[in-house]
Amino acid sequence: MMTFRTCLALSAALIVACSPAKDDEKETTTFELPTAFPSTYKPMPSVTTLITNASIIDGTGDASSANSVLVVDGRISAIGTDLSADGATVLDAGGRFITPGIIDIHSHLGNYASPGVNAHGDGNEITSPITSEVFAEHGVWPQDPGFDEALQGGVTTLHILPGSANLFGGRGVTLRNAPSRTVQGMKFPDAPYTLKMACGENPKRVYGSKGGPDSRMGNVAGYRKNWIKAAEYKKKIEDGDEPTRNLQLETLAGVLNGDILIQMHCYRADEMAQIIDLSKEFDYKITTFHHAVEAYKIGDLLAENGTCAAMWADWYGFKMESYDGILENIPFVHAAGACAMIHSDDAMNIQRLNQEVAKARANGNRAGLDISKAEAWTWLSTNPAKALGILDETGTLEVGKRADMVLWSGDPFSTFSRPDQVYLDGALLFDREAGLKPQSDFRLGTEIAR
Amino acid sequence: MKHLLLATASCLLAAAPAFGQTLFLDDATVIAPNGSSRTADIIVNDGQITAMGDTLTSPDGADVMAGLWVTPGLIASKSTLGLVDVGAESATNDISANTDLASASLRAADSFNPRAAHVANARRRGVMYSAIVPNPTGDTIFGGTGLVASLDGSDDSVINDAAFVHVALGETGARRAGGSRAAAMAQLRGALADVRRGFLTQDEGDVLRRRDAQALRPVLAGRIPLMVSASRASDLLALVDLKADFANLNIIIVGAEEAHLVAADLATAGIKVIVDPLENLPGSFATLNASYDNVLVLDAAGVDYAIGGLSGLGVVKAGGLTQHAGNAVGHGLSRDAAFEAILGTPARWFGVDLGLMRAGSAASLVVWDGDPLEASSAPIAMYKDGEALSLESRMTALRDRYNPTTDDDRPYKYR
Repeated sequence: MMTFRTCLALSAALIVACSPAKDDEKETTTFELPTAFPSTYKPMPSVTTLITNASIIDGTGDASSANSVLVVDGRISAIGTDLSADGATVLDAGGRFITPGIIDIHSHLGNYASPGVNAHGDGNEITSPITSEVFAEHGVWPQDPGFDEALQGGVTTLHILPGSANLFGGRGVTLRNAPSRTVQGMKFPDAPYTLKMACGENPKRVYGSKGGPDSRMGNVAGYRKNWIKAAEYKKKIEDGDEPTRNLQLETLAGVLNGDILIQMHCYRADEMAQIIDLSKEFDYKITTFHHAVEAYKIGDLLAENGTCAAMWADWYGFKMESYDGILENIPFVHAAGACAMIHSDDAMNIQRLNQEVAKARANGNRAGLDISKAEAWTWLSTNPAKALGILDETGTLEVGKRADMVLWSGDPFSTFSRPDQVYLDGALLFDREAGLKPQSDFRLGTEIAR
Repeated sequence: MKHLLLATASCLLAAAPAFGQTLFLDDATVIAPNGSSRTADIIVNDGQITAMGDTLTSPDGADVMAGLWVTPGLIASKSTLGLVDVGAESATNDISANTDLASASLRAADSFNPRAAHVANARRRGVMYSAIVPNPTGDTIFGGTGLVASLDGSDDSVINDAAFVHVALGETGARRAGGSRAAAMAQLRGALADVRRGFLTQDEGDVLRRRDAQALRPVLAGRIPLMVSASRASDLLALVDLKADFANLNIIIVGAEEAHLVAADLATAGIKVIVDPLENLPGSFATLNASYDNVLVLDAAGVDYAIGGLSGLGVVKAGGLTQHAGNAVGHGLSRDAAFEAILGTPARWFGVDLGLMRAGSAASLVVWDGDPLEASSAPIAMYKDGEALSLESRMTALRDRYNPTTDDDRPYKYR
């Protein structure tokens, strides 16, 4: 795969042989992304659990006739009808809904932590438009109380991104929503890194009077100049040279190599189309456009290019590039055959993403679509998992996957429903009735601390 | 008699008015301003409620809709609707002004634009009225004088152009006043003292100019509310103390995330509160005790409260008002109380006439395709004082142009 990717990544603009090294050249090698700050995540202890008598939305997009889920060693071992298992702890769901844990692909929990004091502004390295060398995880405070509240809203996995001031904002990190003293203890094992990039108003506003970019023209020129540098850097390594390690270019080379997924802040339809062409020029893939308030205008283009869109249900109007927001954005993108999903970008919104999807689905159906709840659920866990490169591990309730599950008090598409229980890797981390919930150090000593 | 299935009726929304002259609502769940509900049949003919009862017969030719919900028009107790087109574009944003010439006397009504796209976008989500609130900037804690308006989009939609005065205390007030809560409270107390005495010259006040003191006069007399943004329990108690010294003040606190810690004091002092039931994070040191329980405790303590969508993104939160109220129910508030907090209570505070839901009255109501407190429900018809209101907006125009189910194959710009 590396070799294939390497050939792909070397664009027509760079004259490089994809064939094995010729005799008179140095020995060629493949670019490999160095690893650092490895995950130390360990699932919390779990017991063999059989949930019966449940209504199941499994995340595959199809209606499920199953009513039981068996969890062994933190993984889904069976899902079906009227299962039984010797020695399992049995939970009769009493008809309540079981769904996959929710995955939020766009969060700033930890890097814009509560309380929002100046000292907690660790989400955006606003010192240069090119900061692909920074890592969101180095700004994540695991004591952000928002993690605990998001868990109680059913969020089991979340992706923390740098902010959007910079053209290249830095690496995003995928976290298990596990109680941990360290970020390493939350990092999703083997999840690919991502690179946050940003279109449009933010970079030009922030840097317009600081050397640029000062326009969307400057934005695109800035992307191109740096992709050229990255391709050169990567080629040097592949040619057997040993350039001084460059963190900035290393991340970009990781994108060209296919190891790092692009998560790009972009609102306007025409701008997303420009960025798709940019990715073709340098032969990389845009995994997801974030915010994508105008994605509904180019659903076909997104579908053709296999690029996902992560959207809000109804946020719009706060800046010019968000002025054309409609309530049917997610369902319209979905109807075009593209990969659509909800995202929060907000510590409050992340706590009820199920309601946001309920709203979006209802508005889509009101506009003439016919989207089932099972289908709409893919916007909450399946498509985010796909766009984060972790769908083989989580995002649906299928045999072999991590048992990331939510037991709801009622229909998860109702405003009145709440998660009753949340399981991460089969471990019960939140239980409303039993009063089991994580609590950040920061909340201790207040009158509402438990 | 035409029988329209709900789904069919929904598809007709692109055309306004959505329904014919006569609407027969069969077995509607009808919500009163106090939040109570009952089931009734309603006949609306040409904007008039011509009959309302347990078992009516549908008139010939009526559009028949069964099992829907009917509420009065909802009230957003705090928004910036009509003051801003694009938040980040200062030329389009009249929410606040940094001027030495005026503070409390800055009238948001002079900025209000009933044609702003967000007004219609909020209206089509069931919000018929709003208190529209200017915010402070610069070195004053005074945002100015707010208005109450209908969101019908007409040129005469302002109901009260001097409905209340808004000031910020807490962290925002401290920042405006120079750096401390003490400075903010000194500014507020100084201003109220200025109002009490006469002015011989424009600049004679300790804090205010003459025109600002005049704008505050009805506040001091309690004829219009003093709306105060504050969060921390100690800030709320400071307002209890203020009211002890200025007994006529009609105080409405906005935010009040820690109100549940001092609920009894607020109830005793008769201080009103606008809360957002979604606020449960310690977003600042002023809200360390933010909790979903806030609204439940206020309700149990007998505090006079309204529910608003208060967190950022003003235009969106106003439109999503029912979701904020619905979540309060999800956390244990009674349905009646949640409805009252977006209907009867703010109507009483802000002098909004919600109309009467009975035969012989001009229709002032919203017809919903499901439980209004469910985020997935939406209005399918609205009337105000006998007039059908449009459910179209710039959003629906964009929706219709790009709707994937359309069979219109003209280029987008020609649709």
